[in-house]
Amino acid sequence: MPAAALAVAPATAGTEPEWPDSLKGFVQRSFAACSDKARHRLEKQLRQIIASASSNGKINSLDWDNRPLPKACDLAPGLTKAWDLAPGLPAGAPPTKRNSTSAGIPDDTDAFDSEERKERRLRRFQREAEEEAARKAADSRSQVVVPPTPGAGDVFNWDADTIVGTCAKLEKSYLRLTSAPDPSLVRPLPVLRQTLDLLKRRWVEERNYTYVCDQFKSLRQDLTVQRITNSFTVDVYEMHARIALETGDFGEFNQCQSQLKHLYALGLPGHAMEFLAYRLLYFLYTRNKGDVNAALAAMSRDEKQDPAVAHALQVRSAMATGNYHRLFALYLVTPNMGGYLIDKFADRERCLALRKMCKAFRPRLSVAAISAALAFDDPPACAKFLAGLGIAVSDDAQPSVDMKLAYPQAIAAMQKYDKVDIKGQMY
Amino acid sequence: MSSSERLSRAQQKFKILASTKNGDELAAVLPLNSEYTNLVLGDMLKEDGGWDALREPLSRGLWNEVTVEHFRAAIACRRGDFVEACARQLATYHAFLRAFRHMERWSINGLLVLCRDLCSVAQRADALLAGDGQGGKVEEATRAINQGFSLCMTDREPDLAKSRKWGTYRVANILFRLYRRLGAHNLCDSMIRAIKASELPELDAFPMSDQVTFRFYRGMLAFRSESYAQAKDDLLFALAHCHRDAYANKIRILTYLTPVLMAEGAMPQSRLMRRYPPVKALYGELAKAARAGNLRRFDELLAEKEQQLVAAGAFLAAERVRRIATRELLRKLYLIGGSASRVPFQTLRDGFVAAGLADTTVPEIEAILADTIYGGYVKGYLAHDHGVAVLSKQEPFPPLRSLVQGS
Repeated sequence: MPAAALAVAPATAGTEPEWPDSLKGFVQRSFAACSDKARHRLEKQLRQIIASASSNGKINSLDWDNRPLPKACDLAPGLTKAWDLAPGLPAGAPPTKRNSTSAGIPDDTDAFDSEERKERRLRRFQREAEEEAARKAADSRSQVVVPPTPGAGDVFNWDADTIVGTCAKLEKSYLRLTSAPDPSLVRPLPVLRQTLDLLKRRWVEERNYTYVCDQFKSLRQDLTVQRITNSFTVDVYEMHARIALETGDFGEFNQCQSQLKHLYALGLPGHAMEFLAYRLLYFLYTRNKGDVNAALAAMSRDEKQDPAVAHALQVRSAMATGNYHRLFALYLVTPNMGGYLIDKFADRERCLALRKMCKAFRPRLSVAAISAALAFDDPPACAKFLAGLGIAVSDDAQPSVDMKLAYPQAIAAMQKYDKVDIKGQMY
Repeated sequence: MSSSERLSRAQQKFKILASTKNGDELAAVLPLNSEYTNLVLGDMLKEDGGWDALREPLSRGLWNEVTVEHFRAAIACRRGDFVEACARQLATYHAFLRAFRHMERWSINGLLVLCRDLCSVAQRADALLAGDGQGGKVEEATRAINQGFSLCMTDREPDLAKSRKWGTYRVANILFRLYRRLGAHNLCDSMIRAIKASELPELDAFPMSDQVTFRFYRGMLAFRSESYAQAKDDLLFALAHCHRDAYANKIRILTYLTPVLMAEGAMPQSRLMRRYPPVKALYGELAKAARAGNLRRFDELLAEKEQQLVAAGAFLAAERVRRIATRELLRKLYLIGGSASRVPFQTLRDGFVAAGLADTTVPEIEAILADTIYGGYVKGYLAHDHGVAVLSKQEPFPPLRSLVQGS
């Protein structure tokens, strides 16, 4: 029997799903109305319908008798355009390709079982089933917000699987999705806008990165799940990227900036140049020459002339030509938030520069001079750095370093960084 | 003669060539536009009333498949339907591989011929599909050819003279070309690793053309990953042993080799540049500026030629030559100063400004000097408090040749 073949994997371990008779009837009718070649698809769809109904606890309460058959049923005439109603799908969704006559006055001359009659009945059942599903969905913990169909420009690649959320709670913790999302937990665009405003305020007031990052990830998830791709999406990613940058969370930063690259390529407005500069600096941090080269190759003349991008290019050039003076001079005037990026590899470059200085300068160099050359905030900060490398500093009014003695330590310091670089660059 | 008879004759021919191990003739008939193919197709058209026999479903049998798919591919080519031709040629190729597994060294040329045709129809197919935003035929071809490559490399034939291993580098070179076109350099690297790990005879036991091509690609990949010592070694060999008439290939080698040598101070000779204008166009002026120590001009040229250099993948390598230019400028300033061993930073700074690098400061000069001393280009030390560079009395600027690291 087809129903037995379905063996829906229950969400809870071990319990056999108990199906009401109306459900069994529904399944039987579906298989009857399905051709052999669509059988496989039908099984999949039935599995989904039943799984979602059971996870909502509605398996006994849904009106299976009047529920339209799944899409895969292609045999029964007049029911060929039946919709697979996922709860929460707005009535206005996927436009039908019907060329039926407009809904209107029933024509008495039609036979009772004509296609048109069937379709009208179907539509009435659909509406009723929907209303019932909506009523049932309303007792989940959030209020039901009537989901507006998002504007044409908001959703990219709309298809039947795109959902529109109904959740109205502004805050939501991030949970990795392991199955199809539940629309009652997904926030629609207007709610998300409010969420972003809230997060902006909370970040400024509390500076709690763990909380804000978590919220941003769930914000991004809601956007992705609803396939919302517009300037708001750009705003969200840009904001998260900047916050991650400020906090030093390069993992999240990198995710955001690569997503932003796609979004800008779609033509969405945003701070493309600012983030192009960040991307370049990020490649300098990872020392990925392939990426740097590819980025250079892809850059247009206009892009190269943007001040932030030009700055990043000069940083690259200073590093490539071994000019640490220019590098640190540029570091001090980095536009936007690029400074946070350079912060991450400033110490590495300082070690490099120090190695050169130890070879070249004799006999001693004052900490003040080193501090100035390596763009430290002040000589004490420089002294701390040198101490961290195990470099001895003289104990007098003008502390200084014996450069020859410090050379082995400077070399050892670089080894820590050289190990990371698999390609064994020669500096 | 009916066309099906003609077809089975052709199939017989392939079979016989295979059983008599006639590698040369097999390689002569397998190309899509071979004389034999054209003859058979022409005869079928004229005498048997067409190519309908080829539309019939295949009867089983290895050489049946090779034969029929081969002719179908040839017909599709004639019609200009390269997408179909590609599919058919892939079928021919895969069928051939089934036989190839049991064949020996003599059959390698046959494989190569099929590979070459596969490449060319795949590229043409992709060109046709590009209009619809589709493609991927070349990728399919590389996957197929990779199977052939494995069959060559992992041959277990104990008698080395008969082993298919001798075809490995030929197929590898075909794959290199395709991977490069696809930009799949990581696949090139993994192929090189696979070869290294396998038990092939030494590279120098293979024909020179195999060696030159392989070392060119290996050198190019080393160049890309900035292992310049390895790159220099391979590219020099390739250049030295490249066939005298292979002009375009020499230019390819030189495009990568030149900046590597320039960064060691060996500028290309005027004779070389006369013979290879594209190389001159790319590097000629840069070499001149570097040798003259004209840093300002060097930077200008680097900006001017950036587009071309990046396109050739040689920008970062060319940038490395800047240290040579810097060293030359410092040396000139030293000589102008009367070869005094104590050279004030201020003097050097003024010299740099006079040479056109207007915004140079003394701290920057110190950094530049530190860099050059560290690199071994200048022998001496810097006395920061006195504001002076103290250069070695003997050889403040060691000859560039002495700085070259061995591979």
